[in-house]
Amino acid sequence: MAAAGPSVFLLMVNGQVESAQFPEYDDLYCKYCFVYGQDWAPTAGLEEGISQITSKSQDVRQALVWNFPIDVTFKSTNPYGWPQIVLSVYGPDVFGNDVVRGYGAVHLPFSPGRHKRTIPMFVPESTSKLQKFTSWFMGRRPEYTDPKVVAQGEGREGENAEAETPKAAQLMPPFSSQ
Amino acid sequence: MAEVHVIGQIMGATGFSESSLFCKWGIHTGAAWKLLSGIREGQTQVDTPQVGDMAYWSHPIDLHFATKGLQGWPRLHLQVWSQDSFGRCQLAGYGFCHVPSSPGTHQLDCPTWRPLGSWREQLARAFVGGGPQLLHGDAIYSGADRYRLHTAAGGTVHLELGLLLRHFERYGVEC
Repeated sequence: MAAAGPSVFLLMVNGQVESAQFPEYDDLYCKYCFVYGQDWAPTAGLEEGISQITSKSQDVRQALVWNFPIDVTFKSTNPYGWPQIVLSVYGPDVFGNDVVRGYGAVHLPFSPGRHKRTIPMFVPESTSKLQKFTSWFMGRRPEYTDPKVVAQGEGREGENAEAETPKAAQLMPPFSSQ
Repeated sequence: MAEVHVIGQIMGATGFSESSLFCKWGIHTGAAWKLLSGIREGQTQVDTPQVGDMAYWSHPIDLHFATKGLQGWPRLHLQVWSQDSFGRCQLAGYGFCHVPSSPGTHQLDCPTWRPLGSWREQLARAFVGGGPQLLHGDAIYSGADRYRLHTAAGGTVHLELGLLLRHFERYGVEC
């Protein structure tokens, strides 16, 4: 076995953000983006996207379906910093303002094949009751300036969050390495 | 040196009587292990479940270790705390689990326990809050002085960890 320099491998992910379950909210759209370490770089596909606005179906399922395609390829020399997909869901509140309904993140799968992931979503919560009322009234909820914060482990100690219900994303990642 | 990547999430917790939970986690390894990248410990956000009883943290873990030996295989230790509306924190449970040793994605359920005190302390905890805590965190992942403790069960912490191993076959370890 020859001693080689750093070897590059590719991670190709095809999939979709399939649907969501949010019992209390309707008319939602989602945005996705990727967070990855320094040794990773996207080589093909879109790194960010915004979906259409979807309403709950009229039938018994009350489904919120996006069927929003994800197609991206990364290259890297090091598994550290494995990419995570960060999803943010937004919708109108009772006054018509666009407010955040949930953030969630999950690592892209490590093994080739078909994977279905259900991602729990959470929103940041104001700690004081007065601020909760003001933000509900004014339509300015606590929001992250950069949603990528959701994929990082540091600095979460000060946060309070409420968890909403899970949503499903279907990811199919083959590997190829050189 | 052989390398181990631990990449995954602390997904959340179920079965705790308190809501508004957060988790302080850390990884303990033996002397032969060296952390190359990643943060060895952290704290999740406080989560209050709106639907259902599982508190979700989705806290990412991404660690890269190099090792010269199998002794001291990494152990993840957890402390789950609850926070009330006044901002006071109370211990909900301690738990630990070994990081898996076969490559792939693993779903782990880590049970937790909390120390019980005397009946007076238990009564005080029910009314006022607080309660006994460990002085030294190493009793969470070591068996040495456990016989001194009387504990009660807490809930379960759910984790999903993916493991990638590298160069182990050079040292004669099959994985």
